[in-house]
Amino acid sequence: MKIEALKELGFEMIVEEKGEIFHGYACDLLSEVMGRAKPDTVWFTVQSHINIIAVAVITGIRAIVLCNGHDYDEGTIERSKKEGISLFKTELNTFEAIKKLCNVMQDEIQG
Amino acid sequence: MEIEIMENIDDLIKKIQPYFSELSVGDFMSSPVVTIQENQTVLYAKELMRSWRISGLPVVDDEGRLKGIISIEDIVHALENGTLESSISEKMSKNVVFLFKYDKIMDAFKKFEMYGYGRFPVIDEVDHHVIGIVTKQDLMLALLKKLSVLYVHDARREEFVGVDIYRSVPKNVKIERTEFEFQIDYKDISLSGTGASELKRFLISKNFSPKFVKRIAIATYEAETNVVIHSNSTGRIKAYVEPEFVEVRVNDNGKGIENIEMAMRDGYSTAPDYVREYGFGAGMGLSNMKKCADRMIILSSKGNGVFVEMHFWRHEDEN
Repeated sequence: MKIEALKELGFEMIVEEKGEIFHGYACDLLSEVMGRAKPDTVWFTVQSHINIIAVAVITGIRAIVLCNGHDYDEGTIERSKKEGISLFKTELNTFEAIKKLCNVMQDEIQG
Repeated sequence: MEIEIMENIDDLIKKIQPYFSELSVGDFMSSPVVTIQENQTVLYAKELMRSWRISGLPVVDDEGRLKGIISIEDIVHALENGTLESSISEKMSKNVVFLFKYDKIMDAFKKFEMYGYGRFPVIDEVDHHVIGIVTKQDLMLALLKKLSVLYVHDARREEFVGVDIYRSVPKNVKIERTEFEFQIDYKDISLSGTGASELKRFLISKNFSPKFVKRIAIATYEAETNVVIHSNSTGRIKAYVEPEFVEVRVNDNGKGIENIEMAMRDGYSTAPDYVREYGFGAGMGLSNMKKCADRMIILSSKGNGVFVEMHFWRHEDEN
């Protein structure tokens, strides 16, 4: 699915970058994400500090959805623009956010 | 034959001496230098020498002051006599000949000639801390570098060669095998991963496949994060690149790992709480590294920093 389609699900877009995503992943432990996330993934997390961009760049994560109404650090937003990573946020918790994605995009996105 | 060549070199050195007589030891010594503490074992020295591919180590006390030197010959003797477990202080050479930073290149030459040793530690004049080392290779490279610059700047050459492309020669003289180097010196954990991201970019620019690069970048990220979280010191990432192979070394100058076996276990972590809140310190770092690397060596002991070397061969499916 196209990254911008996440906007239509009600997630607030903070940084827009073009691209497609084929996988989803949810976890807040960075080493777990590092070891397991596939390339072209949308990542659901509650971590908002700048290091998540490094994790995304290295694993090939294309978009991040920050859950529970948290806000991104200023540095995170800046870096994501530089590295071409899309950022979204939502008031929903991680489970609810993923449920929403799956309801609409069930066939287009894999674990 | 060899003697003849040596005489020619002596002649040459005499001729060109005015050009490099101003070079000081500090200009061409290797620094920082890998050292070993006198209470370590000969076995540890052997591992250090093997992984850094060096043939001798200055031995220092707690304060970093020069105490002796241990060389590959001492290791060979220890292997023959089965004394690898002995402490360094028993097996090292204690009468070390050293150089000072401000010694001139000719002083270094004289020492190599006079003593026939392969290397001379360089120490600080005041506190006798080891600040570098000079090997014959350092000496040769210093001369070559100086000579190649000299050579290329000689405009008369162009009459013979006809093209000025040769001007670029010194840039292409490969003096070090390190192709990527990154200094880890931030105190802010959220910046961790900068080095690994840079390395990823570097490897992609060298046309390695994304899949192969990802494996290397993940392992490097974890090693870098460890330096930031645990070492409380500065560190360095170095990478060596060959067509089918990448070697990454990450080392720090911090407090070291007390029990490597424990640290290798999944989920074991000594990370402080504030770090865990950020999603670090899950105790998966070392096992991620082990999983990604084809070969991994960790050297550490309390108070001696951590040295990690990882080897990556390009796998069949990583085109």
